[in-house]
Amino acid sequence: MALLSPPLPTLQMLTYLVRRLLLVLVVVWGTATLAFFLLFLSGDPVNLLLPLDATPEVREQFRKANGFDRPVWQQYLSYMGRALQGDLGISLRNQTPALGLVLERMPASMVLAGAALLFAVIFGVLAGVIAAVRKGTTLEFVVLFFALLGQSLPVFWLALMLILVFGLELRLLPISGYGVGPIPGLPALANLVLPAIAVGTFSMAAITRLTRGGVLRELRSDHVRTARAKGLSERVIIYKHALRNAAIPVVTVIGLQLGNLLSGAVITETIFAWPGVGRLVLTAVTQQDFPVVQAAVIVFAVLLAVINLVVDLLYGVLDPRVRYA
Amino acid sequence: MKRSWIGFLASLALVGMAWAQRPDTIVIAQGVDVTVLDPNNQLETPTANVLANIFDTLYMRMPDGTARPWLATAVRAVNPTTWEMTIRQGVKFHNGEDLTAETVKWNFDRVIDPQRPLRISNSWANLASVQVVNPTTLRFITKNPFPVFVTRLTGFYILPQKYVTEGGNRYLQEPVGTGPYKFVRWVRDQQFELEANPNYWAGAPKIRRVIFRPIPEASSRVAELVSGGVDIITNLVPEPVNAVRASGAAEVRSVPSIRNIFIMLNTSGKADSPLANPKVRLALNYAVDKRTIVKNVLGGLGQPTGCSLNSYIFGYDARSCQAYEYNPARAKQLLAEAGYPNGFTMTLGSPNGRYLNDRQVAEAVVGQLAQVGVRAELRVQEWSTYVGQILERRIPTDAVLLGWGNNEFDADNSLYSLFYGGTVRGGPRQVAFSYIRSVPLDNALLQAQRTTDPEQRKKLYLDALRVLRAESPWIFLHQQEDIYGVAKRVDWKPRPDERLFVAEMAFK
Repeated sequence: MALLSPPLPTLQMLTYLVRRLLLVLVVVWGTATLAFFLLFLSGDPVNLLLPLDATPEVREQFRKANGFDRPVWQQYLSYMGRALQGDLGISLRNQTPALGLVLERMPASMVLAGAALLFAVIFGVLAGVIAAVRKGTTLEFVVLFFALLGQSLPVFWLALMLILVFGLELRLLPISGYGVGPIPGLPALANLVLPAIAVGTFSMAAITRLTRGGVLRELRSDHVRTARAKGLSERVIIYKHALRNAAIPVVTVIGLQLGNLLSGAVITETIFAWPGVGRLVLTAVTQQDFPVVQAAVIVFAVLLAVINLVVDLLYGVLDPRVRYA
Repeated sequence: MKRSWIGFLASLALVGMAWAQRPDTIVIAQGVDVTVLDPNNQLETPTANVLANIFDTLYMRMPDGTARPWLATAVRAVNPTTWEMTIRQGVKFHNGEDLTAETVKWNFDRVIDPQRPLRISNSWANLASVQVVNPTTLRFITKNPFPVFVTRLTGFYILPQKYVTEGGNRYLQEPVGTGPYKFVRWVRDQQFELEANPNYWAGAPKIRRVIFRPIPEASSRVAELVSGGVDIITNLVPEPVNAVRASGAAEVRSVPSIRNIFIMLNTSGKADSPLANPKVRLALNYAVDKRTIVKNVLGGLGQPTGCSLNSYIFGYDARSCQAYEYNPARAKQLLAEAGYPNGFTMTLGSPNGRYLNDRQVAEAVVGQLAQVGVRAELRVQEWSTYVGQILERRIPTDAVLLGWGNNEFDADNSLYSLFYGGTVRGGPRQVAFSYIRSVPLDNALLQAQRTTDPEQRKKLYLDALRVLRAESPWIFLHQQEDIYGVAKRVDWKPRPDERLFVAEMAFK
């Protein structure tokens, strides 16, 4: 019975995948090139590397030693050549491979983004469903009020308030740092709580509003009316029929948010002294540490392109009507 | 259900408490982390502050600004271009390697190697060669007379030759020095741990363990200090000073710093442009109320200045460095005499966040200049662009707010570096922070650099200061104060050179 067999990856789908992967390469190359020239335009890194009263000879020696004295197109070609072999240069400040510095911080950023996303999804979906089911009640109003607040609070303010209340007044949670967790390389749970809330609040609010809208729409739809007519319990209707269909836009947003959470945690990482990539990049930009900035841009370009691809593929799982061509 | 939540929160709280004070460990929070573990290839205060506990220098800067023999026991000038140094005997590195004259020579050869310049190489460009006379004696041959030789030794760290040359890159991961503290571990952007060296040649330090933590956000540093998470925080800003004082857990301790803040005026315009006129520049100095700026913008933590030196520095002269009084009437009169009775318009550049409340200082100056009719338009820029323009002499504004920290404690670093070369063919050889053109000034500064006689140098710097007083190439503003938040249990006085020598600290 061919009609009932599970959907096998078809030739069409494979072509789609290959095309998308090629696109990822183009995106990464384009981003790397753009970043290279923007950084080049931002000035001479030797200016910040040497004392302000360094003699012109010493500056010239430094430019030579770092290859900054060559024409920009030569620097670009040699950079790209080395990048293809996985060598993204040496950090000017830290004197260690730039890619290593970025990858070293990746776990901290991922743990934070993961925790924030978990927080956002659990509370966002829950609040969204509650607001939809209790439409017209005070509870809905309260949920929507906090959702609006969550989307409008500046993250630095929220972070400082969290520190003030939970770190300084109640002394419940550590104020800053990564802590020493039970598993090497992972943070202490207590240290993770405040940064994750600070980073995740905006996404949580977005997910709440989106889930509420989706569930409300589904609850009015024909298939839900049919399900009700069949006498299914309200719980089954909401979680099996309404929520699943409301999930597609939510998954899109989660995918997009994941990118934001990973790359946009600069402020939170700085305030909580979290050893993530965002903080590394911020420091590297102010110090004009080009190789580090460039490496981070490339890593993020790869990551975001892959996340987008995964999200697109997930649609197919969630909605069998979506096919790839 | 409810009870398990309370248990969960309580367990979180317990984990949090693990960070609180430990009796044998001091926790110090700076704004940024260490960058490299080679003390002679860095120029950053936060990095030096950590590494100076692991490595020793040949001379040591004392809190009063003088330099004292340290790994070197004596230095004497044989002739104007030859110095002889004796090395302390019996000093061992943390890995057991001996300190010898050979080690010291190797360290200098490494820094002056033109093929592989290090970030401090600029300070030693004048050094031609180093010879070992015997196992405890060295001779230094310089290209020109080098009066700041001894003062520069306070910033030159001694690394173990064998460990560096034979251990591959290990010295960049596990630094080994002769200092009072030994390296334990470093997790980038998290913490840097040290432990006391019980066999330190100058006596074991009192505090057993040290943790340096980078906490970039100023308010998070304050929160950590107040809650007892850290013992010392650097770069405290004036705003939360009262909160720290009120906490009862910590104190504010400050020290006049080696950094002066000023506004460099573009005096190189046409003869009829206002800033080319010394009278106008003098008027601007009278028009700015330094005392009020220090009081209102810096929380009273600073000193008005009238020259580019401060009292720690060799060559300082109290009279020539007296701050210009605030006298708007005099300023207006000078402007009228110069032909600008109704003032004029100019532009002023300022960084944002490079120096203590820099933008706010610039805003205050703009307001005060307006009182005497000078309409200054403020242009705030991000630091790396700003400093690039200044170094390349492509300054888009008529004036720029800048700061200069003289970490050599010698006028050479504040006068030659900033003012020399206006009349030299080809313009300033290095980036001078002024547009002044004066033959007597250039002569005095060059001569002072080419003589090793301290009395003669003092006289020459006095001449230079007088020229600067008459020309007013800057609006002189103030000397900053370095502000620290310190837990009450810590016995320590901040130093003017910003160093955090833990060996000077103790628990009460």
